[in-house]
Amino acid sequence: MPIRVQLDRVLLERRMSLTELADRVGVTIANLSILKTGKARAVRFSTLTALCRELDCQPGDLLSYEPGPSDDVLDDLE
Amino acid sequence: MRLMRALGPGSVSSFLKIILDVVFVALWVGVGAVGLILLAALLLSFNPDLVGSMAMNVDMNGATLARQWPTVVGGLLVAAVYLLGILVIVARLRQIFATLMAGDPFHPDNVLRLRVIGLALAGLELLRYAVWGASAWLLPGRTKVEPNLSLTAWFSVLVVFVLAEVFREGARLRREAELTI
Repeated sequence: MPIRVQLDRVLLERRMSLTELADRVGVTIANLSILKTGKARAVRFSTLTALCRELDCQPGDLLSYEPGPSDDVLDDLE
Repeated sequence: MRLMRALGPGSVSSFLKIILDVVFVALWVGVGAVGLILLAALLLSFNPDLVGSMAMNVDMNGATLARQWPTVVGGLLVAAVYLLGILVIVARLRQIFATLMAGDPFHPDNVLRLRVIGLALAGLELLRYAVWGASAWLLPGRTKVEPNLSLTAWFSVLVVFVLAEVFREGARLRREAELTI
């Protein structure tokens, strides 16, 4: 996926744990882990809003684009 | 107007589940019964004299029954295969239904299950043609199997395969929803 999630870096800068962020945002740790490890397929605006609010940052601080092939895992269902 | 419930007690689903369970048990009983009769018929085919004496009881020519015995065994075999085919379909339907009851009807496994159902339906229809061909060949002039091409059966096969594709897309959307944070 050419979109990289920089959640790790932002959390480190804010000295906040994933568990604490999960509590504040109202998303499960499992889902935040999916987001952090770049396995997420999409992010809801509501989740992004909550993340930006709690981490006091802009969407651009959390996401970046790196050109590359998009690994479409969803087509390999069978 | 009060809408019928989709899931839970008193819903259409629970009614269908009961039907599927009853049919499933009845099919197993049927397969068991036909299997036992087939086994007995196979054992009897080693003893033509016994088949001949059995014919006296059913008021039939012993030699005729002994001559037609392979056809009787073949008929029983076809009945067993037919019942097994329906059993395969009903078993897959029950599995699909179990995923529905669990609230996850677009499970990726259901795509394969629907395809198996489609193939089984096609197989049963082909079996019908094979039985018709064989009976016309073995028992000329005495066949009661209709040699018509059933468009309804092939239409059902088509419908099931289309549904399988719909479920494949459903499974893809489900996966996408799972990975949407």
